[in-house]
Amino acid sequence: MVHPLSNPLRSVGDRRLPRVPDPCALVVFGVTGDLAKKKLIPAVYDLANRGLLPAGFVLLGFARRDWGDGDFETLARAAAQKGARTEFRESTWSRLAESIKFLPGSFDDDHAFDTLAETLRDLDNTQGTQGNAAFYLSIPPAAFPTVLKQMQRTGMADDRESGGWRRVVVEKPFGHDLPSSKELNDLVDDVFTARDVFRIDHYLGKETVQNLLALRFANTLFEPIWNSHHVDSVQITMAEDVGIGGRAGFYEGTGAARDVLQNHLLQLLALTAMEEPVGFDAESLRTEKRKVLGALKPPRDLAAYAVRGQYDQGWLAGERVKAYRAEEGVSSESRTETYAAVRLEVETRRWAGVPFYLRTGKRLPRRVTEIGVIFHRAPVLPFAKSDTEELGANQLVVRVQPDEGVTLRFGSKVPGTTMEVRDVAMDFQYGEAFTEASPEAYERLLLDVLLGDASLFPRNEEVEESWRVIDPIEHFWAEQNDAGNAPHLYRAGEWGPKAAVDMLARDGRVWRRP
Amino acid sequence: MTTLWDTTGTAVVKALGAERRKAGSVSSGLALTLVVVVEEGRVEEAEHAATRAAAEHPCRLIIVVRRRPDAPEARLDAEVLIGGRLGPGEAAVLRMYGRLALHAESVVLPLLAPDAPVVTWWFGRPPQLIAHDPLGVLADRRVTDCSLADDPVAALQQRAVDYAPGDTDLDWTRATTWRALCAAAFDSIESPARAAVVTGEPSPSRALVAGWLRSCLDVEVTTQDSGTNGITEVRIELEEGEVRVSRSNGRTALLSRTGQPDRRMPLEPRELGDLLAEELRRLDADETYARALSVASGVGDLDQRPAHRTHVWHDPTEAADPDPALTVA
Repeated sequence: MVHPLSNPLRSVGDRRLPRVPDPCALVVFGVTGDLAKKKLIPAVYDLANRGLLPAGFVLLGFARRDWGDGDFETLARAAAQKGARTEFRESTWSRLAESIKFLPGSFDDDHAFDTLAETLRDLDNTQGTQGNAAFYLSIPPAAFPTVLKQMQRTGMADDRESGGWRRVVVEKPFGHDLPSSKELNDLVDDVFTARDVFRIDHYLGKETVQNLLALRFANTLFEPIWNSHHVDSVQITMAEDVGIGGRAGFYEGTGAARDVLQNHLLQLLALTAMEEPVGFDAESLRTEKRKVLGALKPPRDLAAYAVRGQYDQGWLAGERVKAYRAEEGVSSESRTETYAAVRLEVETRRWAGVPFYLRTGKRLPRRVTEIGVIFHRAPVLPFAKSDTEELGANQLVVRVQPDEGVTLRFGSKVPGTTMEVRDVAMDFQYGEAFTEASPEAYERLLLDVLLGDASLFPRNEEVEESWRVIDPIEHFWAEQNDAGNAPHLYRAGEWGPKAAVDMLARDGRVWRRP
Repeated sequence: MTTLWDTTGTAVVKALGAERRKAGSVSSGLALTLVVVVEEGRVEEAEHAATRAAAEHPCRLIIVVRRRPDAPEARLDAEVLIGGRLGPGEAAVLRMYGRLALHAESVVLPLLAPDAPVVTWWFGRPPQLIAHDPLGVLADRRVTDCSLADDPVAALQQRAVDYAPGDTDLDWTRATTWRALCAAAFDSIESPARAAVVTGEPSPSRALVAGWLRSCLDVEVTTQDSGTNGITEVRIELEEGEVRVSRSNGRTALLSRTGQPDRRMPLEPRELGDLLAEELRRLDADETYARALSVASGVGDLDQRPAHRTHVWHDPTEAADPDPALTVA
């Protein structure tokens, strides 16, 4: 909220009243795309249904279609009915529908953008939006420069000229390497100011990720052991059971490292490894995350600690699935990785010597994202060796999805007359119904954009630091390609290539089976 | 589910333990214990609401039904279930007959989740004095519902007289929607308020909204009667212009501000379960409520009161003015 206390009816102690953004317009470029239909429009509906949208809210769609407001409303309605988390209510929809508008036009059409600028000015009078607008760029990165320049030309991006706030929301990929991301950041930050740019990483909108911060910094139990004295290693996994779907065109030029490792996994790493922020505002959180990312070192021995893989044909969940190279739109010679595993080190006093193993892959046995913190074994055990054969290392696992929750693994005596110790798991789980009630990541993030709360959005420096880590790995793999080496193949439905297992075996460790 | 007839508190504790083991991997993410005091006729409605609220706030649910305190024999019947019709959590429905009804805490205390906060909700006529009911004395948060009293407006006055930090009333929860609308209408208004009028049928909610406006805006707030259900309009006069929130039909509110276009906002009636879930979200004292109640009732310094009560023995069979919470059919 911009002026939290200027309204006498809102007080900090009164937490029953929901935070509602100022009257504003949400302009979505590429509103006919998949993301808009599957995530954005349902999220807008859910927010409206929960009464979290301001009275003067306008959803403005912009796309290259010869449509009127009505056509767009039909599409939006279908999308909301299909994708909304909350119950579909006719009364909510009819109210929202009144404030849904559509503007046809292509991105290089000056006239269309002039009309858009004018429409936004009109809305100030007709809807009382007071010059507030957020622009959601749900478009391919290649179209960014054109759209941003149009916004600059028409003065749409200017806070002062519009009299309210102007914000822009950008989806990943944020570039494809350090230079390209710098270029993109410079462009966006030049047209808007840096603090008005919201980069969406939907993982950060998930409850559990925010809960990781609560777990670490609201408790006294975990922080004292959250360092190299007690932690042996950290494993961060994001596995998907799906293949690339229809995204061959995008994926061929991207690969697992750019698609997932650079953003989601490094953000999870940053939240796991960062120091305590001085406050929970956007600035403090981002500062701490940046410090961790800045202290990250790419592996020195890339051949040993940056493993890439590609799925071959196989059986997954009882169904036969194609090899990556046999997917539609993928070259039969493709060397794009669908699996990546790396070992990174955080060179700070807290983490020196603790390896962070990150892995991500497609066509793995199941969809799961988790952060596993693995502790040292006890240096001395007062038990006979045979008594503790089944005792592993203590682990604290934060399950990001699915089954959001926390697991603690520790040794416990096997009931009976002999002294035998083995691992047991203690689970904390948000109940089934609880998870259902927790808002979708997009809902939360969209609301944060409209409220101007940037704490869950990575800043340009974070993105650039991430590329600094990923670039050497990508270069190494490119060299490998030139030398005629392809990614390691793994069977669809298994936990990645053998080379990844060897990578941990070399360090005397094994991957957790999530 | 385990059903126990003519049983003891110890047997109920054992049955709960057995049910937990039977349920296999018990995910014990309990945040609180919710004690519901309810009469037989409302048990089903209470179960429904509590189940809905428990979905958002994992809790152990204890439903206490007091029956015929004048019955010659004390008796306890109990149902214990986990992951059944009362949602994913643990639940016990306790029916207490005879004198046992006056000593309900003897059964409830060993059933409370260890060291978790306790919320007691009277789903029925609110107690005269919460101190009369041991189930209120042991709770950290107490939720009453004035709308179920014989005279709701008088019941609200009594809530102020009896207030201790940690008390709230569902009529205050019902007012949240209206308060949110008023706050939204008042966003980005710079002109100070001069006076306000709350129109609606005389109700605790109307009194609380008026009290709240007055405590926030520090201006004269009057109430006006209208025949229909609930609150129908809130009008705030400003130095320049006015702000008005009115209900146009059951499900929509109209926001009007001088010099700005009218807007429509959702005004959905909320289910009992949603109201209860809102109550369970906060387990500390609601200071905004204390201020609003203080203004609405004219009873001062509510937030200065001690948060803890001492049990006051009250036997409804002997009292000239029996406490409604203990006098159950």
